[in-house]
Amino acid sequence: MANTEAALQDAMTSIEGAIGAALVDYGSGMALGTLGGAQGLDLNVAAAGNTDVVRAKLRAMEMLNIQDSIEDILITLGSQYHLIRLLAGRGGKGLFLYLVLDSKRANLAMARHQLKRIETDLEV
Amino acid sequence: MTAATGTATPRRASPESPAPPTAATLVRLADERATGALHGPVGALYLADGAVVHAESPAAPDVGRRLTAGGRLSPETWEEAVSRGGPGYRAGGFLVEHGRLSRGELELCHLSALFDAAYFVLCPLETDRRPPERFLREARHWLGPVRPVPVAAVQREVCRRRELLERAWPCPAVDAAPVVPVPDAARRWGSGAAPACGRRAVLEAADGRRTPVQIARVLGRSAFATLLDVRRLAAQGLIRTPAGPGASGTSPENPDPAVPAKAGAAARQGAGAPEVSLLYRIRDALEAL
Repeated sequence: MANTEAALQDAMTSIEGAIGAALVDYGSGMALGTLGGAQGLDLNVAAAGNTDVVRAKLRAMEMLNIQDSIEDILITLGSQYHLIRLLAGRGGKGLFLYLVLDSKRANLAMARHQLKRIETDLEV
Repeated sequence: MTAATGTATPRRASPESPAPPTAATLVRLADERATGALHGPVGALYLADGAVVHAESPAAPDVGRRLTAGGRLSPETWEEAVSRGGPGYRAGGFLVEHGRLSRGELELCHLSALFDAAYFVLCPLETDRRPPERFLREARHWLGPVRPVPVAAVQREVCRRRELLERAWPCPAVDAAPVVPVPDAARRWGSGAAPACGRRAVLEAADGRRTPVQIARVLGRSAFATLLDVRRLAAQGLIRTPAGPGASGTSPENPDPAVPAKAGAAARQGAGAPEVSLLYRIRDALEAL
């Protein structure tokens, strides 16, 4: 029953190593909410840029004729993980949660698990 | 930012740019912490304490349409919320309290609908119409407050969206015209399964008569996102780009002397389109290698 701000707050506090989080509408590339992301990480720019990532992957799947949906996308940088989780609920169509993690502090499996829980809280 | 650039070059403003008076009015209303509705034929922006709390436009599917089109709520549930929560200006709160929607879902749906409608209120599709300038003080919307957005954030987002459209395919003529897929569009798009990606859904809903806004309504999705998909489809050469000014939705009896020039500009862009279209397709093909 969380609102969007509480959901992002939850992501930032409960996920170890979280640097920034955003809830993004990938139809327009607009961030509906952002939290954290200091030190040169502009989450609004990241939201727009990662929209292209999601769109490209959806298109690739269509071309490959894969009849499935994307649960999440992981991008591994030298010092960060970027986790994109598409909201699956009927109300969340066209949205994704975007999470930036410090790879030295983060536990990837745990982060994915927590993100799934936050998604559920947001929608149910 | 909007106000500054808008007032500097009012004569050169494209058909889509928000008219400077409205931008200035909005900034003033925000400074005054005003409550009420800025309304006109192209829609309305509702403010509370100087922040935008709601936007509606005939071009953009509203919260109810978005929730019912995909089957999230039944039309009866929505009607019940409007009739029982509406009179107290809290239809949204009614849905949450009765367990029909979570707070998060309502917020997300409402925010998407707000920014979507705000775009069409501040950048009307009809080139002869202007953004609203009349302000009705103390007017409130029946949905009730969900999440207020600062005026500056709305104006920034509208500018960003306008640039996004221009970058996708600088041809406003496709925005208001019926979407006509080229004959082999489906084959060229590929034999993908579910219409997961927006553009494919738009392409399938295009029956040669529906305009982008009508397609958005059928799909119950953002009108702006549909417009963006249509421009991208045009850039890919998968839908026809209307060439003449007649196709751009300009009425011939239009009294505004500025409009023929705008329509002419659109036609010129249309005339130049095949070359640009070809270049886009070559680029896409190279990228796909």
